[in-house]
Amino acid sequence: MFQEIAYQLRVVWACAKKDFRAALTDRLFTILSLFVPVNVLILMSLFVLAGANAPTAVVMGDQGPYAQAFYQAMSQAHSFRLQIASAAEAERLITAGQIVAVVTIPADFDAKVQQNQPVQVGVKINNLNTDFTNDIRRAIPLSITSFYAKAFPNLVNVSVQEHDLYAHDTGYVPYLGVSILVIALMMGGLLQSGTAAAKEWENQTIKELLLSPASRWAITVGKMLGSFIVSLGSTVIVLLVLIVFVGVVPINWGEMFGFTLLSLVIFNTAGTLLGTVIKIRQPVIALSMGISLPLFFLSGAFAPISFTTPLLQVIARIFPIYYQIVVLQHAFHGFALNTLSLGGNTLILIGYALVLIILVTVALQRTSVSH
Amino acid sequence: MNTNVAAIEMVHLVKRFGNFTAVDNLSLTVEPGEIFGLLGPNGSGKTTTVNMISGLSAPTSGEVRVMGYALGTHTRQVRRLLGSVPQETALYEELSAWTNLDFHADLFGIPGREKKARIEAMLDLVGLTERKDSRVSDYSGGMKRRLALARALLHDPQLVYLDEPTLGVDVQSRRAIWDYILALRQQGKTVLITTNYMEEAQELCSRIAIIDHGKMVALDTPTELKQHFGGSVLEIETIRSFEDLDQLRTIPGVQAAEQMGNSLKITTKAGENVVPQIINMVALCCEIREISMREPNLDEVFLHLTGTALRD
Repeated sequence: MFQEIAYQLRVVWACAKKDFRAALTDRLFTILSLFVPVNVLILMSLFVLAGANAPTAVVMGDQGPYAQAFYQAMSQAHSFRLQIASAAEAERLITAGQIVAVVTIPADFDAKVQQNQPVQVGVKINNLNTDFTNDIRRAIPLSITSFYAKAFPNLVNVSVQEHDLYAHDTGYVPYLGVSILVIALMMGGLLQSGTAAAKEWENQTIKELLLSPASRWAITVGKMLGSFIVSLGSTVIVLLVLIVFVGVVPINWGEMFGFTLLSLVIFNTAGTLLGTVIKIRQPVIALSMGISLPLFFLSGAFAPISFTTPLLQVIARIFPIYYQIVVLQHAFHGFALNTLSLGGNTLILIGYALVLIILVTVALQRTSVSH
Repeated sequence: MNTNVAAIEMVHLVKRFGNFTAVDNLSLTVEPGEIFGLLGPNGSGKTTTVNMISGLSAPTSGEVRVMGYALGTHTRQVRRLLGSVPQETALYEELSAWTNLDFHADLFGIPGREKKARIEAMLDLVGLTERKDSRVSDYSGGMKRRLALARALLHDPQLVYLDEPTLGVDVQSRRAIWDYILALRQQGKTVLITTNYMEEAQELCSRIAIIDHGKMVALDTPTELKQHFGGSVLEIETIRSFEDLDQLRTIPGVQAAEQMGNSLKITTKAGENVVPQIINMVALCCEIREISMREPNLDEVFLHLTGTALRD
């Protein structure tokens, strides 16, 4: 019994070692695998940064205190990237497509506000992008309300009494950064393990494995371990970029490491299953890329999934990515994104890992070699 | 393991892929210590049969036993007893020869203390010691075959299966591989070969089974097969083309007659002495330059039995 266990563990280690060595010899692919997840991270971060605030020029026709207060209200609206410009400069910028809007504070702004007379703030919008256009349309009235609430508190009778669930706000980038970590792990894991498994079939070396007396699960676990070790490389790089360069620091490091490793296990197992079933590297690569993005968007990447429609919530809960985002958001920000406890979410993820390992073993068991 | 049992025993073996029957009710026994050849045209069911013997493919019906162990219930024991050299070698080409053998040793549970010595011995046997650290992708076809053979023998199997062992290798390497295979018999190992080379089958095999369309069409020693097939082959070279081939075919005892330019090849039936009659008929028509007589080779046996050349 002990001998048998020792033998199977030896097979696990031999398969892992062999795959790791093989990956190192395939330098180009290994480099690609290491940097694809980082690329995704950078790409998504750029997407987020580019879409965060609308570049807007403000023409200060009036320099009075109310005009300055209005400018302050706009700068605190979290929607604009403001710059003060002359009318001519602002016109040039919007014509050149470098800004989304020009807000013109008229020369008689302070006077009219003091006299309680209507005053028109001119807004010129480059409305070729609905997202930015709507941001401007929402943020200008918000700025006006905010300006009045501060300048004339007695005139605004309705006020907000806010109670926050969390001690601090979480920015769009820190929230999305964690989701991007999950997709980066997913792509890295699927690509690495999927191609390692498919390569055995493409090169017919699967016969060497299947003709051995080793158990299928030992071969499966060994192959996954090999890919896991290689994927660790890209994971470290992604975490470094996220923590050091993007500045998203986990509040619970232990959870972050634990859930990252658990996620890698799941994605490596899923990749091994994909490679074992498809048996050709090219479609495995295409599929790994193809399924990662939709699942990423589906699983609450931008906001908690509970904020979306009931149907999407049901679909999202089928896939492990949803639970991975939940537990990693907890590790980084301390959020509880669903009604399950952290332990409950972890158990579900462990369940996914076990089911996938069983599926890969069955797929190898049922396989027959054609000629 | 019971040493008195057959090395391989197939009983009414059938393998179907949908409506296509790849192996059709095949029964045969391979004795321990013999080199057994499985011959057949491409697609005849050889590799499917061997895949079932090695447990890579489950039979639709029938039974396979290797050294007394039934496939299906004792597959892992069978795999320990079996060393395989697949046609495509199945070597990890990005790794070195040593790493390939080291990995195989781990897969087959060769004890750590014996591993190094065994790998060295196998590399020495196939003459690859000096290239042990080279990537397999840098090897020639012959070297890869030799390495695959070394790998198959590393765990000291009782039954060695070689699928087209000399396919695509140069003449020198072919001879070397044949010598290794013949040496296996000296060690008491059973060898199962599939090959497309008749010369190879004749040189190595103690018995041959010819398979066509998944069925066994002949099973015997190479000598018996040749004797069973026909009496002799008469080859006559004439000064000019012989014009009455059909009449030649009407001679009782002539099994087949064919002509290529000024050369005639006439196969006679066993036990029929019709050679004088043939020579007389040819001499009447044209002057004979050269006559030779020989026993049929395995290619001709194969052609006769399957109606196709082996390489078709």
